[in-house]
Amino acid sequence: MTLDPIVITLIEAVVKTIVVIVALLTAFAYLTLVERYVIAKIQSRIGPNRVGAIGGIALLQPIADAIKMIFKEDFWPSQADKIIYTIAPGIAVGTALLAWAVMPLHPSTEIFGYRVDFFIADVNIGVLYLLAIGSLGVYGIVLGGWGSNNKYSMLGALRSTAQMISYEVSLGLALVGVLMISGSLSLVTIVEKQSFIWNVVWQPLGFIIYFIAAVAEVNRLPFDLPEAETELVAGYQTEYSSLKFALFYMAEYINMITVSAIAATMFLGGYQGPFGILPGVHWLVLKIMFFIFVMMWMRGTLPRFRYDQLMRFGWQVLLPLALANIFITALVMLVVGA
Amino acid sequence: MESIPFYFLAALAVLAALGVVVMRDPVYSALALAVVLTALAGLYVLLSAPFLAAAQVMIYAGAILILFVFVIMLLSPGREGDAPRGALKWQRPLAVIFGGALVAQLALVLLMTILPTGRGLYTPEYLAQIGSTQAVGAALFTDYLLPFEITSLLLLVAMVGVIVLAKKKS
Amino acid sequence: MSVTAPVAPPNTPNYNDPQIVAEQIKTKYPDAVESSSAQGIVVQSDQLREVARYLHDELAFDYLNNVTSVDWQDRFEVVYNLTSLERGGAPITLKVNAARENPSVPSLVPVFRGADFQEREVYDLMGIRFEGHPNLRRILLWDGFEGYPLRKDYKEPYYEEEKKPFGSRWDKGHHVIAEDRNPWHDNVQYPSNFDAVAYKPPRDQIQVIDAAQAAAMRLRTDKIVLNFGPQHPSTHGVLRLRVTLEGETVRGVEPIVGYLHRNHDKIGERNTFVGNMPYTDRLDYFTSMANNLAYALTVEKLLGIKPPERAEYIRVIMAELTRWQNHAVALGFIYNDLGAFYTPLIYAMEERELILDLFEATAGSRMMCNYMRFGGVARDVTDDFIAKCKYLVNERLPRRTDELEAYMVGNEIFHSRAKNIGVLPRDLAINYSTAGPVLRASGVKYDIRRAEPYSIYDRFDFEIPTGTTGDLYDRFIVRVAEMRESLKILKQALDQFPAGEIMTGKKNYQVRVPKGEAYGRGENPKGELGFYVVSDGTANPYRYHVRGPSFINLTALNDMCVGYKIADMIVILGSLDIVMGEVDR
Repeated sequence: MTLDPIVITLIEAVVKTIVVIVALLTAFAYLTLVERYVIAKIQSRIGPNRVGAIGGIALLQPIADAIKMIFKEDFWPSQADKIIYTIAPGIAVGTALLAWAVMPLHPSTEIFGYRVDFFIADVNIGVLYLLAIGSLGVYGIVLGGWGSNNKYSMLGALRSTAQMISYEVSLGLALVGVLMISGSLSLVTIVEKQSFIWNVVWQPLGFIIYFIAAVAEVNRLPFDLPEAETELVAGYQTEYSSLKFALFYMAEYINMITVSAIAATMFLGGYQGPFGILPGVHWLVLKIMFFIFVMMWMRGTLPRFRYDQLMRFGWQVLLPLALANIFITALVMLVVGA
Repeated sequence: MESIPFYFLAALAVLAALGVVVMRDPVYSALALAVVLTALAGLYVLLSAPFLAAAQVMIYAGAILILFVFVIMLLSPGREGDAPRGALKWQRPLAVIFGGALVAQLALVLLMTILPTGRGLYTPEYLAQIGSTQAVGAALFTDYLLPFEITSLLLLVAMVGVIVLAKKKS
Repeated sequence: MSVTAPVAPPNTPNYNDPQIVAEQIKTKYPDAVESSSAQGIVVQSDQLREVARYLHDELAFDYLNNVTSVDWQDRFEVVYNLTSLERGGAPITLKVNAARENPSVPSLVPVFRGADFQEREVYDLMGIRFEGHPNLRRILLWDGFEGYPLRKDYKEPYYEEEKKPFGSRWDKGHHVIAEDRNPWHDNVQYPSNFDAVAYKPPRDQIQVIDAAQAAAMRLRTDKIVLNFGPQHPSTHGVLRLRVTLEGETVRGVEPIVGYLHRNHDKIGERNTFVGNMPYTDRLDYFTSMANNLAYALTVEKLLGIKPPERAEYIRVIMAELTRWQNHAVALGFIYNDLGAFYTPLIYAMEERELILDLFEATAGSRMMCNYMRFGGVARDVTDDFIAKCKYLVNERLPRRTDELEAYMVGNEIFHSRAKNIGVLPRDLAINYSTAGPVLRASGVKYDIRRAEPYSIYDRFDFEIPTGTTGDLYDRFIVRVAEMRESLKILKQALDQFPAGEIMTGKKNYQVRVPKGEAYGRGENPKGELGFYVVSDGTANPYRYHVRGPSFINLTALNDMCVGYKIADMIVILGSLDIVMGEVDR
């Protein structure tokens, strides 16, 4: 019995999607635990060590957290816009997950005679797709803030929108240098081209700009203005509770993983090891974890920028630098003739 | 089989476009517009123009429309969306007249003219060979360079105008 | 000291003596002075403002320490304490009498803006009107409150007796909890036709916006009014700030306080003198040792006693340890307000725990120490305490001070957020009666430990750190520098630590304080903590008033915040280092 190739493709896509989503959700759950340990270490505390602890590490803590979160009262502010209030967290998580459709995870291999690609889709505009999906993520925040009918939520939403739009520009431009070197918008091609030397060697400035903009894009310290608790209580999440709050939380962590994965893919060779050593998904995971650790480290250490400083930094420092980076890259490529 | 996504996206686009006009709440209208734009992006993908699709989502849905939503949220205090009826009394009949005229005109043109069919340069096969991004880039920077530059100049002028207007107030 | 002091004649007389000051006033305003004694100068009510302006402009009494009032049953007396920051020394006392019916005196806000909140407090609790006050509304109590609780004829709900110890608690051999009594029969007296549901508080006590005003306000769409708190993560307790915003820029801040009000003054009048000691712990619960010290100093002034040497040293050690830990935690909180994720705060808390361990070992409690007594301290310290304290002071705390400074002051983001933000100019800082690090950061070299040395501070060698611009950054580094100076004092105190008694006289739960009145003060970590105590010779104070530095520092908040961003406002509030227990009292 032979199956229609379209059906096989469909089944393959569904299986891959499920695997990626489950892996991401698990990663989110345990990232919260890792973050608690990292911050605890920085603050010379112990961190969670009760729920299902093995060797002082509370392995079941995320599950306990999830259960607690889900069984909290689901709170509806009076006067809130019910529909928008409800769909906003969904949009946030949905866009966060969608980005993973184009992420190459592992070199293609033969399994049982089938050639299996470890990405859901190889779109030849993969990088653009990532940026487009990233720009849609703002909707979750804006609608959440507006739907809550709360001044703090509203201000938080406005801030985060302005922030994300501003930093998206630098984020995208920082990637252009890599695109010029690789000559492709496909993530798979970009990774394959880094099999020997990573792009970060040729694009150090672009890498730094990208990382700063990415931290701003996922609203982490020192750029966590949208949820600046000292001013805005919790920004756009102020009125959310229970599962809806958990969804926003999930979106934030998945976005962290996503921008780290993009950084790893574009600059650090994705699943490629240094100098072609043993390519595989473990490299990608290691690199992602490195970036996430740096973000947690920053959260445990730095104070926050003020809002106008943040905007000035984005438009007057990062953007010109990103443009200069493109210019220099083009100049060098022209001279070298690569 | 291949036309199923097309009909789905087309229906979505038309419905959402109706929503833009019909919805009382301007925020809902803006959201419906976002759906329209996304559906159009899907149509672009079907037409083998993924670059356009991504650009559409990124620029229109992700940036411009967000600014719309921004302005609406900041300016509209109430959700009722009931504009004072008395203010623009003459608007309704005029809208009907001009709208009808437009529809009649379109129908007339479509019925009278035979639209040229045929295959131009940018066929799916050709695009698959050189890549959609390259095709857009080549077209923009060779054949359509002058319109492209004029557009950028226009945007610059608009920006300068906005800054002048904004500065005047303070 | 470079003070913009008004021109003083050569051979300046001793203006710390009220009699001489009174003579000076008489030369300018012959009928202004009713009487004068060592207890203070009583001034005619109608000439009060002129006299105050004269004292401020000509005699350089540029600082209003304290405003309070006493109910003498037949009349009210409003009491002002004035100091010259340049000359130092003890404050002089200025008094004004007000009639029992419809009491009113002129407001001093046009001369001393620091009188703003204090006069409102007097109006709120004693019912004395201040003519010419720009915003005379209740401040601690709610707007519709009936009556003035500090008046001697005011009887609160659950009223039992005038003075403690209450005989009623042991009425029939067992003690009765006041709350067990049915308030509807015994204690609460309502007017005969009172209907709680229909009751509307009197109109003149509530700020009412009429329709025209409201319409005018709605038109100003470029400003929004945001209520910050009382349940907001960064208002340091139950403080509410009514902020007028234009975009993100602050156009006005009005602190609304009183959520934690318990009428500390009235409780103090019911308590015995010693019984007040534990209550002072609850004022600023971060610095209970220093609060104890200031209160003990005040009552010792009335008693005319001095503690023995060893007790003096213990007091200084405790007060300076308190200062170190208070400042460390304050810096951590400022960083929190800047958006750091608790890390600096937890570093500071780690050291604070060690200091609290020492307090616990000596006083028996970590935060509510209740340690000082009139004429000494409650318990002696052990050799172990001294050894541990020496380790902290000589090794651990200096290292930690350096580490905290390197971490916090060296941060680039901190510099960009703190420099030239929340500037409080020097003359405003003085005029607003701000105290402590806030005053010193504005460039005023004034520290009570130097200006009017109490206890044995005159024996130690230490500097008074000052800032230059009075911005957030200065308020931060002044605190860091003060931590170093505290360690310096501690080192000297521990080296000279003598043996001997810890108490003058014998321990006594009931002291008889002779008739009289005294304003005593100490340089608390947060600023000048003053106590105004009037004794009528019985076991309880006749009047007991607390000058809370946090409360008065809040007066300047509006001027510090206007024009800056809302995010700055939070940090500026943090840099005032307020504790609501002391603000609301």
